[in-house]
Amino acid sequence: MTSGLAYLALAFFVVLAVFPVYWMVITAFKQDPDLINPRVNPFWFHLRPGFNHFVYLFEHTNFLHWILNTGIIGVCTVLITLAIGIPAGYALARLRFRGSENFAIGIFLTYLVPPALLFLPLLRVVANLGIIDTKWALVAVYPTFTLPFCIWLLIGFFKAVPIEVEEAARVDGCNRIAAIFRIVLPLSVAGILTVGIFAFTLAMQEFIYALTFVSSSLEKPVTIGVTQDLIRGDVYFWGSLMAGALLAGIPVAILYNFFLDYFVQGIAQGAVK
Amino acid sequence: MGLLGVGASKTARAVALNPAVSRWAAARGVLRGESALGYIFVSPAFLYMAALLVYPLALAIYFSVSTASVGDPAGKFIGLQNYADLFDNEVFRLALRNSFVFTFGSALVKGLLGTTLAFLLLRSFRGKRLIRGLIMLPWTVPIALTTLGWQWMFDPQFSVLNWTAIHLGLIHQGVNWLGTEPYAFIAVMTVNIWRGFPFTAIIILAGLTSVPTEILDSARVDGAGFLTRYRKVIVPMIAPILFVGLIFDVVFTFGDLSVVYLLTRGGPINTTHILPTLAFQNGIQGGDLASGSAIALFMLPVLFVAVVAMLRLLKRRET
Repeated sequence: MTSGLAYLALAFFVVLAVFPVYWMVITAFKQDPDLINPRVNPFWFHLRPGFNHFVYLFEHTNFLHWILNTGIIGVCTVLITLAIGIPAGYALARLRFRGSENFAIGIFLTYLVPPALLFLPLLRVVANLGIIDTKWALVAVYPTFTLPFCIWLLIGFFKAVPIEVEEAARVDGCNRIAAIFRIVLPLSVAGILTVGIFAFTLAMQEFIYALTFVSSSLEKPVTIGVTQDLIRGDVYFWGSLMAGALLAGIPVAILYNFFLDYFVQGIAQGAVK
Repeated sequence: MGLLGVGASKTARAVALNPAVSRWAAARGVLRGESALGYIFVSPAFLYMAALLVYPLALAIYFSVSTASVGDPAGKFIGLQNYADLFDNEVFRLALRNSFVFTFGSALVKGLLGTTLAFLLLRSFRGKRLIRGLIMLPWTVPIALTTLGWQWMFDPQFSVLNWTAIHLGLIHQGVNWLGTEPYAFIAVMTVNIWRGFPFTAIIILAGLTSVPTEILDSARVDGAGFLTRYRKVIVPMIAPILFVGLIFDVVFTFGDLSVVYLLTRGGPINTTHILPTLAFQNGIQGGDLASGSAIALFMLPVLFVAVVAMLRLLKRRET
């Protein structure tokens, strides 16, 4: 494939990937008349762009609450995932005990049971626990889909720590727990961070549990709030909708991007090694 | 090996410097209590998943063979009646078919786009990191938010796609993307494909970059043309990671409610329903936990095949 053709093809893919996001960006800054005027060129501004949609978002909607909720839910999910996942990952990577292989496979297979199947019974479970219609329902439930994949990634990252270093420290007098804290964890910080970020993005992408368990606007995460609550009557306020979607989405995308290399490496290690 | 310090014992040095010795040590579980520690370490995960995944799964199966509803969550056992009713239901049959077409049709296109893109990204060029970041936007921005953007792009009155097509002279009148068949189904598939092809590309790229260049070069020296090289050398080497990516993608798409829900709610006239959205409609909006669960459980056969496929891949890796 000639260089020129390759660059053209690449440009095609970039435009394909970016255009909808670009569309969201200019919509967020366009004035309302521009949005509904078929006679102007929609690909750029006609009237001067402004921040009014963003202001509306913060002053007249629960957007701030939604962002806060998403943050809390995300961070708590990550903490729980790491608290449960790191020991499990380490044990499955390093310790020998009967059933460890089956457990690893079992944990991984639970990833294949989708939320779209569990959401109905979990609705009852969450109601019985008294946390329905709060963000805690989501915090309680989200690790069910972050743990399987995250444990799998963690196994890969822990296995990448050279066992000789760990063994040396232990034979030299450290017990295993100390060795984990002083050697294994510091050496796998990149992996743990990656798993944490990934768990956060998984929590943000989640839709069906949030839609089902939470109906109070103040408790909703931002993906549900923006897509459900910014519609008054039957009217969509597209400017503010896009503003909200961008404010919530772009930071996550940037964060995800930084760890993308590690993430793919984690998958590769799990699949190929 | 500064960790060992000046006073390190001979054993420690031997273990640190000799991989064979440390492997022996590990294999013998030389440091005692490994087993107990192992169980302790995995028990939180085990208990958590048992309580919040295995139990609800069993509950879902119970719902599907009972008359459970939101008003009466216990219900009575009625055997396979719910399933029989579903088979008679035209909307369900369509949703079942849609789920397959939606998932595997999208997977096919994503595979083609992703493979092409992966090869394009193999080359190094200036600004590659930026380009890659831009190309990953459909995947890295949360799905509900980008779907919202697409919903605006498909707006019946103000769709930019329509505007462009009309001004290019391709059509005379705007298409009501989300409100008419078959455009609605094309629309939901488009969004799913758009969202997923970067992931496919990045997975395939990871696989391609792991093929050692010596193998590629030796194949080239042997006179193999590109297609042969691709088939006989590259594909087998990237097959595992490709497979893993495919399974993740299929599992995720099959169970994804957000795209269809946000764009069409399953409409127009139930023509874009897939199993998750129909389960939601019956179970939550209709309050019929039994029917909703039964619909959702129909996802299990496909997921079961995925499970078996993954198991065989994992077993093969262990040997």
